Amino acid sequence: MRPDRDAYDQTIDARCSKSTDFEVHRNWLAITNSLPLSQWYYEKTSEWTLDYPPFFAYFEWLLAHVARLVDPAMVRVYNLGHDSWETVYFQRFSVIVTELLLVYALQMFVDSSPLQSKRAAQVAALSVLLSPGLLIIDHIHFQYNGFMYGILVASLVLARSKSTLLQSGLVFGALLCFKHIYLYLAPAYFVFLLRAYCLSARSIFRIKILNCVKLGLGLGGIFAAAFGPFALMGQIPQLLGRLFPFSRGLCHAYWAPNVWALYSLADRVLIYCECADCCSRDSTANQGTSLTNVLVVAPKLGLPLKAEALNSVTRGLVGDTAFAVLPEVTPRVCFALTLLFQVLPLIKLFRRPTWENFIGAVTLCGYASFLFGWHVHEKAILLVIIPFSLIALRDRRHLSAFRPLIVAGHVSLFPLIFTSAEFPIKTIYTVFWLVLFLISLDRMAPASNQPRVFLLDRFSTLYIAVSIPLIAYTSLFHQVIFGKRLEFLPLMFTSSYTAIGVVGSWVGYMVVYYTC
Amino acid sequence: MPASSPAHKPRRKANKGDIDKLRAPAFPLAAFLWPARTSLSQWEVLPLVLMVVGLFRWAAGLWGYSGFQRPPMFGDYEAQRHWMELTTHLPISQWYFHDLEWWGLDYPPLTAYHSWVLGKVGSLINPEWFALVSSRGSHDPTLKIFMRATVIVSEYLVFIPAVTVFVRRFSRLSDISIWTSNLALVAILMQPSLILIDHVHFQYNTVMLGFVVASMSSMLAERYMWAAVLFVAALGFKQMALYYAFSVFSYLLGRCITTGINPTRLVGIALVTIVSFGVLVLPLALGALYDKQRGIDPSPELKLQGAAPFIANYISPDHFYYPIFEQLGQMVHRVFPFARGLFEDKVANFWCTLNTVIKLRNYPVHLLQKAALVATFASILPPNIILFLRPRKSALPPAFAATAWGFFLFSWQVHEKSVLLPLMPMTLLLAGKHGMSGEVRAWVGFANLLGAWTMFPLLHRVDLRVPYAVFTLLWAYLLGLPPTSWSAPFQEGQSQVVQWGTALLQGTFYATMAAWHVVEAFVEPPPGKPDLWVVANVGVGAAGFFICYLWCIWRLLRETGFVPKGAKVKTKTQ
Repeated sequence: MRPDRDAYDQTIDARCSKSTDFEVHRNWLAITNSLPLSQWYYEKTSEWTLDYPPFFAYFEWLLAHVARLVDPAMVRVYNLGHDSWETVYFQRFSVIVTELLLVYALQMFVDSSPLQSKRAAQVAALSVLLSPGLLIIDHIHFQYNGFMYGILVASLVLARSKSTLLQSGLVFGALLCFKHIYLYLAPAYFVFLLRAYCLSARSIFRIKILNCVKLGLGLGGIFAAAFGPFALMGQIPQLLGRLFPFSRGLCHAYWAPNVWALYSLADRVLIYCECADCCSRDSTANQGTSLTNVLVVAPKLGLPLKAEALNSVTRGLVGDTAFAVLPEVTPRVCFALTLLFQVLPLIKLFRRPTWENFIGAVTLCGYASFLFGWHVHEKAILLVIIPFSLIALRDRRHLSAFRPLIVAGHVSLFPLIFTSAEFPIKTIYTVFWLVLFLISLDRMAPASNQPRVFLLDRFSTLYIAVSIPLIAYTSLFHQVIFGKRLEFLPLMFTSSYTAIGVVGSWVGYMVVYYTC
Repeated sequence: MPASSPAHKPRRKANKGDIDKLRAPAFPLAAFLWPARTSLSQWEVLPLVLMVVGLFRWAAGLWGYSGFQRPPMFGDYEAQRHWMELTTHLPISQWYFHDLEWWGLDYPPLTAYHSWVLGKVGSLINPEWFALVSSRGSHDPTLKIFMRATVIVSEYLVFIPAVTVFVRRFSRLSDISIWTSNLALVAILMQPSLILIDHVHFQYNTVMLGFVVASMSSMLAERYMWAAVLFVAALGFKQMALYYAFSVFSYLLGRCITTGINPTRLVGIALVTIVSFGVLVLPLALGALYDKQRGIDPSPELKLQGAAPFIANYISPDHFYYPIFEQLGQMVHRVFPFARGLFEDKVANFWCTLNTVIKLRNYPVHLLQKAALVATFASILPPNIILFLRPRKSALPPAFAATAWGFFLFSWQVHEKSVLLPLMPMTLLLAGKHGMSGEVRAWVGFANLLGAWTMFPLLHRVDLRVPYAVFTLLWAYLLGLPPTSWSAPFQEGQSQVVQWGTALLQGTFYATMAAWHVVEAFVEPPPGKPDLWVVANVGVGAAGFFICYLWCIWRLLRETGFVPKGAKVKTKTQ
């Protein structure tokens, strides 16, 4: 019954302000509708070029057929920034309609749950459906994550039964052709399908040839359908160049709450410590001078300072991050770290390929790529939260790792919406969701049959409590006290607070994963 | 305070055999709150409910307001903004005199003080929003956010606490479980017309309505003097609260006389009322004297306008108290515009409907005024006499509703937004005995949906069809009402004949409303009669409201025991 409330809320939100992503998707509608296939990945009238895999382009192509009937001006490439009310209604409505797939997938999840945990599964499903993350990203900011997470959930649920393992893999393959960010989760799928589908349950040395062929052919067919036309035209390098723009920086924006946010925070702190010296000699007033008096942690560390990097991160703009004190981070390092922390949980998955372990491994793959990945966007936190939701209610230990994650993950999305008209919606809705689901998850989670490992509960309760003054400060008091000055400060607080939460919940969940 | 007032009753346990707990949810709102049924404490449910209704209000506020980009006069939004501008910039004695052509202040003093406070706060954020004269017709998007926020904050300070407390007290009166009263609370707070008028169209009705609910709530708690004070506050905010004045009067008088003669209470209430009126106008009076002393003329632009000539006949302008009378006289003159017509625009009341048959313009104004007076009295006397004779607590909402319906249907100078006044107490019935059961839900829902429907032409004019559709359909869906469900009249309690009668009667109206929407959207009105659809709307609305008036009286008769409860009376609405 609840989806209706959600949908109404979202319908109303159609009036909200539009982000760049709104124009991005309008532009893609225009590209796919008015240009031949061969030019889709070459067109660059707008700076928002098509950089999603082909299935998503096909999806936009289908949408564009309806869009043309609604407002023909919408689907012209040169019509940059077109936002007639028909366009707005159509685009917003298409998000709501396609999200029905998520509803269906979650219903599959509830149906697949055993009887004694049915109610818990319903609560978990509702928490995903009503997620403020989806509301903020899809319905206010504008993206089509709803239906793609629907596909992901469907694939995860299909993996629950032995007989639908193949479908699970194929659905995931198709999902990869919609949005390649899901590649982050692919290692878990690979190991799980390998062990549970391609290898015999009794011995890892007995290969089920038929299954391998079925999976291989299926995936081959899907990828051929997606990339085939472009491969025939010899456009694969161009396509891949669009999909994986390695020229982008390490931090997409200052506030994606991962390890690199903490790293750059440490860097900033070190700058101020260094500056305590320079400023006494040189009165170059940079934003930090007022802080230097406070942050006299290490008077002089003797590290070399890169002057051009000093002011780059503090504004939180999209772009390259440069570190002033700490060593630079290369994509190679990111990749190695990500892979390392993905492989660790996969070992356990390989040895015991149960569905619970599989979901856990998917979650941990999401964690690893979010925490250590190159150019991670804060929106990617849903990649962790949504799979985790499916198993958060297994017992209280899982829940206590889940709680700081949902607080941190959703608070970290706040800077995405910065207009004051939408401010109450994102804050109150998130607080509402957190109160509702922290209460109901708490009631639903059964006691664990294993003792607690450490004081995770106390930590997470304290952590959640801190969020209240933090939200109040960043959204209200900072403006009252400082006005427009020190704009980076609330962003930095949000970023470090949420990064601590995500990292903490990751460590907590790693412990739970290995001990249960 | 009367010494006998048992202000704090011991909290009674909810009735164990509460039928609501055993059944499956009968309508979607109950389904939404179903998980909260068993053990969630109300302190967990209430904040969540308040957050959700707040979200809906804010989301509604993202839409345009009345008069958005509609020069030259703009609309109610500009009026409210202009009052903030003039109260913060002009000396208090000029408030009721300043440039009356451009949205001159015509609400009672409390609105003026409210505007002053909001204007001061807003000027802290951006002084240009309320700069004198130059800010007229401002459409700064941030200003809109500020204004929307002031409506919500005012509502959360007055209306929402008042309704929450009222619902608690009223449902405890008839042993209704906390959960059921929470349902009623959500239903009352999601009332579509209120959200559409206050948060979309833009007004501060909830403040006035909130004071009235708080006053009723004090009556339930038997704090009669507080009831008087709060009602004066309501009147001081919006003169429209006069719709309820007779009921307040009859109830308080009844409580002093018919339930045992209690002269101290009577005198106490009278004194408190007079003192609160005094306090209400005190700043205005003192300001007038002070400004006179400083040599500031209340109306520098035009000598002796408005009420001033009339007062000058009786009091010499040389008297030291002349400025007070001039000020208050002008205030009353502005607040009660007897000079205006019988009705404004098209409003779903008796006169406007009659106007389609007989052209009322052809009759002299004083005759119409007398007719309106007589008709209004005839319609409000029955409920008030009943309330006076048997001033029972449970009779408060139906009596208030019936009186307000009487005023709305028959009185002078009615605006379509005034339908909020009868709707509010009628909707409060949801919190009463069997409030969420079929019969009450069906009737309250009928009145509310009809009320929102009669405001459609008003909303349509400013392109607010989408919020209109969303909020009315959402409410209908939540409460299981047509067009989403036709089952409401068919639930327990009444005889088959009454159930079918209700369903058919309401069904006819719902079908008409639906058909009207289709016709209005797709068929051009015939040439020469451009207002035909609006007139049809008004006629159907007035008929439906009259039925609601009768139902409220019927309900009142049952609550006060003049008609035995549970009697199977077939002639319900005839």
